[in-house]
This record gives sequence, C-alpha cells and structure tokens, in this order.
Amino acid sequence: MTVAKKCRRKIFLVSIVIALVSAVAAAGCNHSGRTVNISGSSTVEPISVRVAELVEDSGSNIIVNIDGPGTGDGFKLFCEGETDISDASREIKASEVAKCRENGIDFIELQVAIDGIAVITSAKNDAVDCLSLIELYSLIGPEATGTKKWADANNLIREQGGGGNLPSADLDIFGPGEESGTFDSFVELAIEEIAEHRNQDITTRPDYNTNADDNVIIRGVQNSDTSLGWIGYAFAKEAGGIKLLSVASENSECVEPTATNIADGTYPIARPLLIYVNKAAALENEALRAYVDFYLQDEGLSIAVGDVGYVELDNIAKTKTRQAWRDGLK
Amino acid sequence: MAIFGRLLDRRTKDHIQKSVTQALGTKRSGRSGILDTLLRYIIIALLFISLIILAVLIIDIAIDGFDVLSSRLGSFLSGTLRSRSVDEGIGIQQGLVGSFWIAVFVAVFAFPIGIAAAIYLEEYAPKNRLTKFIELNIRNLAGVPSVVYGLLGLFIFVKGFDVFLLRNFKSLVGGSSLAAAGLTLSILVLPIVIITAQEALKTIPSIIKEGAYGVGATKWQVIRGQVLPYAAPGILTGTLLSMSRAIGEAAPLILLGAVTGRLGLKAGLFDFYQLQERFTAMPIIITNWTQKQGRDIGFGENAAAAIVVLLFFVLLINATAILLRNYFEKKRA
Repeated sequence: MTVAKKCRRKIFLVSIVIALVSAVAAAGCNHSGRTVNISGSSTVEPISVRVAELVEDSGSNIIVNIDGPGTGDGFKLFCEGETDISDASREIKASEVAKCRENGIDFIELQVAIDGIAVITSAKNDAVDCLSLIELYSLIGPEATGTKKWADANNLIREQGGGGNLPSADLDIFGPGEESGTFDSFVELAIEEIAEHRNQDITTRPDYNTNADDNVIIRGVQNSDTSLGWIGYAFAKEAGGIKLLSVASENSECVEPTATNIADGTYPIARPLLIYVNKAAALENEALRAYVDFYLQDEGLSIAVGDVGYVELDNIAKTKTRQAWRDGLK
Repeated sequence: MAIFGRLLDRRTKDHIQKSVTQALGTKRSGRSGILDTLLRYIIIALLFISLIILAVLIIDIAIDGFDVLSSRLGSFLSGTLRSRSVDEGIGIQQGLVGSFWIAVFVAVFAFPIGIAAAIYLEEYAPKNRLTKFIELNIRNLAGVPSVVYGLLGLFIFVKGFDVFLLRNFKSLVGGSSLAAAGLTLSILVLPIVIITAQEALKTIPSIIKEGAYGVGATKWQVIRGQVLPYAAPGILTGTLLSMSRAIGEAAPLILLGAVTGRLGLKAGLFDFYQLQERFTAMPIIITNWTQKQGRDIGFGENAAAAIVVLLFFVLLINATAILLRNYFEKKRA
C-alpha cells in the first residue's frame, strides 16, 4: 500500500469523525419556533396525527411530532414541561394536576372527540334488546370463562343482585383481540370496575372469537342468530345486519347508543377524548396556537375525528370546547 | 519437539500431548459407534428444525408484506408515518434514515473504541486481578438487557445528569434526539465489540508474534503489522454482526423517546441537522404498526413489509461481513 493511499484513507476517516462531532456540537438549527411536541394516549394519537396531516396539506410548515406511550406517561412528560400538548383518553387526575402545579405548568383542557363502544348482536336476535353492565360482565368478563349459553350467566348475574333471566341460547362471542385499542377501551369501561370489586383479573374471558378486523367481527355477529360482540361505535353504526344493544349502568335505565346519548355521557361505555395544552407554551409558540386553532375547526373536530373512526362531539360540546380554548388564552 | 518447546508455553504443550494420548488410547467400540451416528443425526435434525422455523417465519412475513412491496415499493421506501394505513404517503423513509444514522454512530464510536479496548486488554494490560475483574465486567455488560442501556441513555443524554461534564451531554445531543439514540446503541454494542475482537486476537498463533519479535519489531509494529491483519477477518465479522444487533433494537429507543405517531421532520439521508432532532427507527415503526393493526387492519401488512426491508438490510450487513472476512482471509493466505 502506497503512502498516498494510506494518507487518503486516514483523511477520510478523520473527516467523518470531525463531521459527526461538529454536526452534533452545532447548537443551531433550532426549530422550536415552529415545532409542536405531543405525547400521551395512543387512543387519541391517530386524531392528533390526522390533524397534523391536514395542517400540512393546507400548506403550513409547522413541524408536529406525535407519540403515544399512554395517557399516564403523557401527563408525566407534560407536567415536566417536556411536551406542548398531552393527548388523554380520560380526565387528568388530581395527583397529576398537583404535579403540574408544582412545576408551574398551567394547562387548558379541551375535549375533542368521544370513544364509544357498541355492544352488538345479530339483527335477527329478538330476545335481547338491552344488557346491564353486570350482565355484560357475567357474559364476557373473566368469570364467564367456559360459559356456552346465555342462560349459564344467570347465576353469576343473580349473585351480583341482577335479574338473571337471559334466554337459554348458544352464546357466540366475537370481539377484537388483546392487541386492539377497542379491547382496552371495552375492558376499562365495561369490565374493570366490577372485576376489581370482585378481585378478578381485569380482562375478558379468553375463549371467544377474536379478530383484528372489524369487518370479520361484524360478519361473525351477522352469521349467528344468538351472537354477542363489541366494536367501536363509529364503525358499528355504518354496518348492516347487526343490532346495537342498549346498555344500562348500575341502577339506571337502558340507554340506546345514539350519537346524542354518547356525546352527553349518558351511554355508559363511552369516554371523552381530550387534549391538554400547555398554556404558557400556547401564548409563546405561534405554531402551537395555529395547530390547536386548526384542531378545533371543523377540519379537526369533524373531518379528522371521522377519518380515524371516532365519534364526533355534538354542536353544543364543540362550541364549549372552542369557548374553553378562547377563554384559556386570555 | 524441540522447536515446539520454545514456541508454546508449557501448559499448552501438556494439554496437546494429553489429548493426543487420550484420543489414541480410546478404542472405538461398536456401541459408541452407534451412539456417534445417532448423535450426529439428532444434531442435524435439530439444525433443520431451527432452519424450518426461520423459513416459516420469513415466508409468512414475506407473504403478508408482498402486496405493499410489489405494488408500491417506491412510495413505501420514501413515505412517512401516517395516521391511516390507506394513505398514499405511508412509508418508512424516516425509519430508514434513523436506522442508517444509528449504524453510522456505531461504526464511528463503538468500533474504534471497542477494538482499541480489545487490543489493550489482550496485548498491553498486565495479567492481574484488576484486568480479570474488568474483563469479567465486560462479559456481564454484554448480557445486560437492552432496556437497561435505554435507561442509561435516558439519564445521560436525554435528561442530562446534573453532574460536572455529564451535564453537557444533554445540550450537545439535544435531548431525545437521533444523536442520543446513536450514542446509546454504541454503548450497548461496545461490550460485544470488545469481546468478539478479543476472541479474534486470541486466535493468533504465538509463532507469528514471536517471529516478528525475533526479527526485532517493536510491540506496536507487531500489533500493526502482524496481529491486526491476522485478526482482521474475525474482528470484522464480530463488529458488523454487532451493528446488525444495534439496528434491530427497539426497547432502548422507546425509552429514549423515539417518535411513533408522527415525525414532523422529513430529513434526507445526509442532513446533519437532524442529529439533534426527534427521531424514529425501523424497529420502532415495526412495533408501532403491529400494535396499530388492532384499530386499522392495514397497518399489519405495512409492518410486514417494513420487516422484510429491515431483514434485507440486516442480511446485507451480514453478507458484507462474510465477504470482507473471505477477502481478508484470502489476502492473508
């Protein structure tokens, strides 16, 4: 190997190292003026991402980074001032508010959509119109493992003070599997409270037909006259051949799953989807303000929410959210 | 025998003599012959089972990802993270760029430091308790779960330890950035690089070194002229395999804040400024899309396609390692 060749190789190696080090050391190129950092619920993540995509399509050059580790983890980052917006699938807890206060972080709470779950059966099923949460737990909860007929759940229902007069028909359950967001939502909203009270695992029975594809779940429910299943409301209301069951929470009437009932919170297995905006950051960061402004327009609250399959707020709730944003910035 | 007496140390010589006598002493009886054949077939069967499992996995993934790869390979390679799997623009460009830079960081930081450490430990370090202790620790570090390295990276690079010098890392790398990820994964593979390089250095026959010393070479000349060229194939294989490991890791990157939903920046392959910005990488995209297929089934086939692409690059690196090894071995011979 010649000296020149050796030298060239050395120069090449050294220049790579120098380039890397100087690139890392260059403190410049700070995009903080037009960057928005978002973290939080993986349920809300798709809405925020869709809004960011629509903002981009509208020709804006705002940079939005979005991440979905979970509502709790999101609030941890948010209350340390690491993120500008925290996506949440529940309201902020008192302990989290205290943490935010401690770090001097003031926030604006904005509801952007609703995550509603429809309990469905075949359109040919006349025997059942409404299920209580206790009945749902007794049919789908962890203690229902092995139950093959609707009537088999009656003992468990009576044990919990319910009526227990389900018909003696085959029980064919179809639902999303554990990896699904809808599965998590269903467990949190319908199963968790009773399972916790009865010291059971917070999950569903393992022996039912799971599928990741909503269409397959719906086909399964259609094809059996005595089926039971659950999927996201926004998807269920578009499908034919199935019946959406009413649901009753403890000591209350059966509530039909309609957009109004879900939006006003009377339908029990639905939850609000919210975003929390760092107030100080919003006042300071023009990009963040522009992003939230866009979020709260119809492009966000109607189009983006519908695109990714959630239930949009009714007009009263939308007005309330927009008002909260305006008031918050004052 | 006289010449071996000088070149091998006493222990090695005894060892060889003993094993040779043993081998000559044992008679091959009929029964042990059957056992021998049986064992051979069992081992071959086990090898085939593991190969079949691997083949099934790869074929399954390739079938799942075939639609995406065959119909829109170009837009898939240049696309970005999207909210819906049906979007035209969905793709893995950001993950490829992230993983590329992680590989560059490993090559620039972990390789030189690791190989230098191995040379020191093999050739220079005194054989005492301290050296043994250090070597033991390096071996333990190679077995530490990768999440733990993620935590280390989180505290040093992302949070910024409030300790003299370490404090500066945060402002240098810019929090949860591509540079933080590259440096963390460099630390992660460092013990593996050291161990494999050490093993390669150990295989050098002492005849070669002693010959070089015999003609009056200095220690550095021996290492530079004899040891390194001889060990190069082994070192290269080990280091490149550790690079494949680095670009396949997801767990530490999750802790470092790799972006899953949307990465606003669409930087090119050689845009240096992105090193201080938020990042994503191939394994992160794959994990995330796999989870997302619960809500949106189409993410599944995109994840499968991303796996095929990642596998392709990992195999490419491994093939390079093998080719380079063959090249150096030929050169040596």
